Amino acid sequence: MTRVPTFLLQVIASFLAGSCLAQASSSSGEEFSEELQIRPLRDGRVASTFSFRTFLHGATPRSPESLGSDDNSQHYHVFPLALGQILREYAVTELHLSMNAGKWNYDEWGYPGELGVATGAELWAWMGEGGISTVDERWAGLRNALSGLFCASLASMDEQRTTSPLMAFVPEGDLPNWPGPHLLRHASLPSEHVCTENLTPFLKLLPCKSLSGIASLLNPHRLFDADWHGMSVHVLWHANKGVEVGLSFQLVSDPLRQSSSKRRDWSFQSLFDRSIDNRCPVASSSTINVKLPTEEAYSLEPSPSSSDDGIGRYNLNVEGHLPSDIAMRWPSEFQYPLGSASVPLVPLALQRTLTGASQANGHLALRIQNRLNEELRVVYLETMPWLVQFYAHTLSATVDGRKHAGLISNVSYIPPLHHSRPTTFQAILTLPPKSTVALSMDVSKAFLRYTDHQPDAQRGWDLPSAIFVPLRNGSDRLDGHSLGQRIYTPTMLIDLATPDFSMPYNVIIFTCTVMAFIFGSVFNLLTRKFVVVHLDDQHKE
Amino acid sequence: MSKLSSSLGFVVPAISTCKFLAYLTGIPDILIHDQQLISPLTSYFRLQEGLYLFQNGIDPYDGGSFHHSPLLLALFDTMIPTSRLVAYALWCLCDAFAALALVKIWRSRQRVAQSSRDALIASAYLLNPYLLLPSLALSTSTVDNALTLLSLSYACQGNASASLLLLALLVHMSPSSILILAPIILLLLSDPLSHLASPKLFPTGLDRAVPLLFTFIIYMGVLTVASCIAAGNLLWISRSWGSNLMLPDLTPNPGMWWYFFTEMFDHFRPFFLMVFSVHLLIYIAPICIKFQYDPLYAGFLLLGVLGTFKAYPTLADPGLFLSMIALFPEVYPYFRHPIVTALLHIHSALLLPLFNRLWLTQGTGNANFFYASTLVFACSNGAALIDCIWAGLRIAVGEAKEGDHVVQE
Repeated sequence: MTRVPTFLLQVIASFLAGSCLAQASSSSGEEFSEELQIRPLRDGRVASTFSFRTFLHGATPRSPESLGSDDNSQHYHVFPLALGQILREYAVTELHLSMNAGKWNYDEWGYPGELGVATGAELWAWMGEGGISTVDERWAGLRNALSGLFCASLASMDEQRTTSPLMAFVPEGDLPNWPGPHLLRHASLPSEHVCTENLTPFLKLLPCKSLSGIASLLNPHRLFDADWHGMSVHVLWHANKGVEVGLSFQLVSDPLRQSSSKRRDWSFQSLFDRSIDNRCPVASSSTINVKLPTEEAYSLEPSPSSSDDGIGRYNLNVEGHLPSDIAMRWPSEFQYPLGSASVPLVPLALQRTLTGASQANGHLALRIQNRLNEELRVVYLETMPWLVQFYAHTLSATVDGRKHAGLISNVSYIPPLHHSRPTTFQAILTLPPKSTVALSMDVSKAFLRYTDHQPDAQRGWDLPSAIFVPLRNGSDRLDGHSLGQRIYTPTMLIDLATPDFSMPYNVIIFTCTVMAFIFGSVFNLLTRKFVVVHLDDQHKE
Repeated sequence: MSKLSSSLGFVVPAISTCKFLAYLTGIPDILIHDQQLISPLTSYFRLQEGLYLFQNGIDPYDGGSFHHSPLLLALFDTMIPTSRLVAYALWCLCDAFAALALVKIWRSRQRVAQSSRDALIASAYLLNPYLLLPSLALSTSTVDNALTLLSLSYACQGNASASLLLLALLVHMSPSSILILAPIILLLLSDPLSHLASPKLFPTGLDRAVPLLFTFIIYMGVLTVASCIAAGNLLWISRSWGSNLMLPDLTPNPGMWWYFFTEMFDHFRPFFLMVFSVHLLIYIAPICIKFQYDPLYAGFLLLGVLGTFKAYPTLADPGLFLSMIALFPEVYPYFRHPIVTALLHIHSALLLPLFNRLWLTQGTGNANFFYASTLVFACSNGAALIDCIWAGLRIAVGEAKEGDHVVQE
């Protein structure tokens, strides 16, 4: 009895699979492409960026007006259904999620392949207003859904961490022309650590999982052993193309750490302990790009199928030899570049510190160095949980140690609210050429209820990165064309005063006792009559 | 006589000048964040921040850190420049006026034009470290104290409208001061003379209190409307008045609330907030009834209750109570345990700054150190209050004969 249905199922499955493949490779409306970019860095490390893009041609984001009614049924072949359902359930137009571990070293590594490299988790979304539920309700739902999807603590990015920093974040895709405006919601969670439990659901969103294609290199043992690693999800809408989902994983590995020969040679085997054995059959394009060093001699095996602009390209989709392992070798030992000879890779050098010995007050100090020979205008965004209270009237700016007026303009400041809203501080800084601007501001640190503290209260609280976005051509308009590439400062740790967690009962008892003692004495005096008594000597004894 | 008045005329300006010079030495910058001397509700630093936000078009009450009255905001925004020098002068003036008001209360209690104790009483206010240090830290509790004393002094002189207006201003800035409304109304209906030794029933009917109460309510209403106009919305009510009831900011202070509500189970927080607030109010009726023959003394005792139990006290609140003891020399022989109380005060005055620093700056102590010292401080304030109540009641019995003892039934 059971054999016939099983056989039938197999037939149907193979038929479906065949049609899937056929559709994927044809122009059925879905397109998947994958790319790996490998970049040797000047401090001997190697940066790898995996990007997986899925296009849903002709699709539009769901309008919030339609939230009350039934949605169109969703049939996808290569587009991740789990993500698609979340996007439509909460009518999200644009979504960016990144989860990283480690501090991105802009000075040595330059700009990353994916800009979102803030330590911890960062999530921002553009959502249209209107319909039966507010943007904030949908934002809460989105956080919880993504939290479940990626096994991360994104749900704790609640209203105490949510801001709307419109100066530093602009839509990266297009926004549909709906009656209601689009609103931005942004939150960061610097204490979130990305690890293998986040990678497993990430791989499940890929059509070939980690079984074939470039994704087969994603070996969690090696990824999470890297000096820096992070994953990100981007959902954009392009008016003339459709919805695009970009999944990417970045890592910075250190071949010198494992090498015994002081050479920075790398290969897929040494970086990932894997090789590419199969193509991903649904990928319309599958390429590996290796940035070729210009200064030193090296050898790359196998040699790239094409190379231009200092980038060697391998196309995995070309029939024939599959370059299962790529290796780059240097003939000489690695000499660490010392001194100031090296050319700056990013226009800014940033340093942000929280000073002050007291657990009640402190001082936020920023040093921003403009390395260019021209004046630079940057958007400065600081979002702080309410644990830290800024004193904006103490904000002062100096250029190379001298007081300077007019450095800070377009200030927008939303002060924090206890237990409900973080600080948003945005401003445009004008940085004179080849100079160091120092900003400083007094801050006070909150005293929390004992239930507000984290389980490891003595460790302190992570504070999110500040974000700097250079403005192109001194432009005043804030849109996608004038904003340059975001730069994140490292996160900070703040040490808050802790109460004694072991004695809530004792405190309640002590305080109540003292109050009862005073109250009782006062009422004793006020209610009882004074009398004079005569005590003779016998009574005294 | 001219010598006596000139001694007061010398003492107040001399001390005020010295204080102004002390301001210029940079002491305020050291003290301005001291948690014994300023609370979130009285911090000059936060007032400056609120003003900065207000002048830059951001509603300071929209944030969680500004708790001052909109009247202060409007005053500093329009009339008074925000420079530090002006603030120093203003704080010196406030203290000088408060000291003179204390002298005036003394004079009307003794029914004399001037006395030999005038300069002593003024210096008891101006040189009290509990009052001097908050004033050097630019705590707005200095302003509150000046308003309290001015209101009491006008009440002693029978000037109802001035007294009630100043009281309304005070209640606006520090709502828990509503405790002294009843004694001030009783004071306006009777006299400030000392009747402690000869208790009697309240001389007049209380129906005369209704117009005074009505005047006070009108003043409060006018000030509330003015505040709403100054602030532009109603948010200031919850941020400024509400913080006395809801205790949003748990920054340590010498009072009893902050650590209790730091360690409070969330479940019971509203209940205990209600208990602590109502606890302040239950002292009004018994003290006013028992001391109906001397409402100034009742007001003085209620200020002692405030200094011990209010939500965000600074040292200036118990300091006002301690300085006012100078007004009642007739009770001194009857204090119950004056030495114990004095030693408790010295003990806690040394422990408070020490343990605060050990906990928050040195990191060698923990919160319990400072909490314990606030408990000692509460005990010393309570002991002072109990001493004063005992002495105020005991004086009516008079000197006991040999072999007799005065006890309570």
